[in-house]
Amino acid sequence: MKLQLKLALPSNLDEGFDLNYRNEDQEEEEDCRLMKKKRSFDETFEEIKNVEIPRTLSLLDHIDLCDEEDGVVGWPPINSWRKKICHHHHNRHGCNATMNYVTVENGGRGGSGRGRSNYMYVKVKMEGVGIARKEKVQGYKLTYQDKEGDWLLAGDMPWGTFIKSVQRLKLLRNGH
Amino acid sequence: MVYSFPEEVLEYVFAFLSSDKDRNAVSLVCKSWYEIERWCRRRVFIGNCYAVSPQIMIRRFPEVRAVKIKGKPHFADFNLVPERWGAYVYPWISAMARSYPWLEEIKLKRMVVTDESLELISKSFKNFKVLSLSSCEGFTTDGLSSIAANCRNLRELDLRESEVEDLSGHWLSHFPDNFTSLVSLNMSCLGSEVSFSALERLISRCPNLKTLRLNRAVPVEKLASLLRRAPQLVEFGTGACSTEIRTDIFSNLVEAFSGCKHLESLSGFWDVVPAYLPAMYCVCSRITKLNLSYATVQSPDLVELISQCSNLKCLWVLDYIEDAGLKALSSYCKDLQELRVFPSDPYSAEPNVSLTEQGLVTVSAGCPKLQSVLYFCRQMSNAALIAIARNRPNLLRFRLCIIEPQAPDYLTLEPLDTGFGAIVEHCKELRRLSLSGLLTDRVFEYIGTHAKKLEMLSLAFAGDSDLGLHHVLSGCESLRKLEIRDCPFGDRALLANAAKLETMRSLWMSSCSVSYGACKLLGQKMPNLNVEVIDERGPPDSRPESISVEKLYVYRTVAGPRADKPDFVWTMDEDGALRFS
Repeated sequence: MKLQLKLALPSNLDEGFDLNYRNEDQEEEEDCRLMKKKRSFDETFEEIKNVEIPRTLSLLDHIDLCDEEDGVVGWPPINSWRKKICHHHHNRHGCNATMNYVTVENGGRGGSGRGRSNYMYVKVKMEGVGIARKEKVQGYKLTYQDKEGDWLLAGDMPWGTFIKSVQRLKLLRNGH
Repeated sequence: MVYSFPEEVLEYVFAFLSSDKDRNAVSLVCKSWYEIERWCRRRVFIGNCYAVSPQIMIRRFPEVRAVKIKGKPHFADFNLVPERWGAYVYPWISAMARSYPWLEEIKLKRMVVTDESLELISKSFKNFKVLSLSSCEGFTTDGLSSIAANCRNLRELDLRESEVEDLSGHWLSHFPDNFTSLVSLNMSCLGSEVSFSALERLISRCPNLKTLRLNRAVPVEKLASLLRRAPQLVEFGTGACSTEIRTDIFSNLVEAFSGCKHLESLSGFWDVVPAYLPAMYCVCSRITKLNLSYATVQSPDLVELISQCSNLKCLWVLDYIEDAGLKALSSYCKDLQELRVFPSDPYSAEPNVSLTEQGLVTVSAGCPKLQSVLYFCRQMSNAALIAIARNRPNLLRFRLCIIEPQAPDYLTLEPLDTGFGAIVEHCKELRRLSLSGLLTDRVFEYIGTHAKKLEMLSLAFAGDSDLGLHHVLSGCESLRKLEIRDCPFGDRALLANAAKLETMRSLWMSSCSVSYGACKLLGQKMPNLNVEVIDERGPPDSRPESISVEKLYVYRTVAGPRADKPDFVWTMDEDGALRFS
């Protein structure tokens, strides 16, 4: 079963450039596509506020978590000293460091990292944005489409039941 | 009639030649001039540590006093060069320890330096004066202890942007009590707190100290005490300035700064609370260089500070300055020569600040001496680039990074070819250029046609075909360094311009379309080049020849293939065979 991971943006988007030929990674499990029907999600989830995302989000174990700090190694071209202040600044402004820890390495190669980030990141392609990037899971709610085509909020359901019925995944920004 | 000067006279005359270019020219006049010159050359610059060996350097120049060596390619700064790639300095230190007992200066950039190397330096050169390690790695504070303890005549210790394993701050205390020769100390990259009293005493007993760049661990309330002991400072870098503002700290700081009548350069400002900035107003009129690129301060506070710096020549700042702040800069700082604007939040999809192409256009219009630009932004237009080019034909360095790769002109949705074309056409002295945004082969046609003084070019996600690369390699007469990532450039342009590569220092290509077969052919045909394939997927031989290599690094050399390659680097040999180390 191929998982399709999408990310919803809050505003209207440009017709992006088709950069897929350059960025397609055929080995990755998730198949990033442009989102088509945003409105149905807005309708479904309009009333839902402050939804708690399950702490462990074990579903995400199946998705290739980025080792790199950004979606593309070495882009934008800033050195490690400047990257440190970007993260430092993020840590100060708003995000609580209570989520699960993910190992993040500067070196761009897989394996054990030197430092630990305070966030759980997922590598996604956002509509209208040509380059895959890493986004913090916090601030999004996880939804999925089941066999009947309905979009539901991922919640406290037994894993086995869940994976039998899930067809697609989508991360919706909180507040949308 | 044959004129001949005695050797001593020639030597005396040559001593006035400081530029390497001049000295190299002198060496080519005749054999005796070559001999005289090589014995009196005191400074050697090695732009690529693998282009020559220590033995060759020592054989030709036996009386060197100062060496500067560069190691890894520039893209190593952005994690594109895998760890363990190389650039080890130890073989150089060990050879020089034997042959240059009077060596005074070692300056290294992007090299791997071990504690062993540092200890060897500290014990081998009795008159050692200057150690500068820029973007280096591989050593710990123990290595610094050796330097501090043993280099009795040390003048400069500069560790800028190096990755040091910080075991403790104790290294500073190894400077002996009778050590007084320090002129410059840059420890801004270190994490640990050094003994503050040791630092105070060190500063107090070094009357010639001109440069002091502290690390983050020195809090703002301690700065006044240091400044009072070194009022002669010309360059000063603060530590973190995040302590909650208090009247006594502030007034102490004002008093201390007002005692510094020679300050010209300020840096540091990590996490600075904006309320501290006014403490520096009294020195602003003399400031020529200001590095605020770690100061997460908003535009109005930045403008307040900058508006007092009428003599500012060089500003490094975060994009918090916004277009409004750049407008103020352009009206207050008419002597500005260099501007670098770094991104505060490069990884988010949306802009967090109001900094656009307009800010740069305004500065280009208002600052007639502007010659060096590094600018990160999220949108650009051909119109803006054309305006910048027309405003500032005196640009020497222009590096633009539009954060979204392949972003087009946001007004017309066209490629930015004509904009960058205008830059190279108008700025005839341009030496360094970095491109970004949506670019076709056309921009390279413009570059090849106009950029005749261009020495360094950086490309990413640009171009359509080999023609792009061909334009650059065939047209840019002064090109020395070319670094390319994620461009559809392949075999044909590279092989057609193979001879050009011998006139350059180096070529880097990663995630392009150069096949292994082409690399082999290049290595075969060009014995004066090291053609190195970097591939972490295993030996290139295990894949078809037509498969593109991950990364390619080509450089001219007189030292032959590297003997210290890691297992993911292969040199394409003259025999056409793979060479492992």
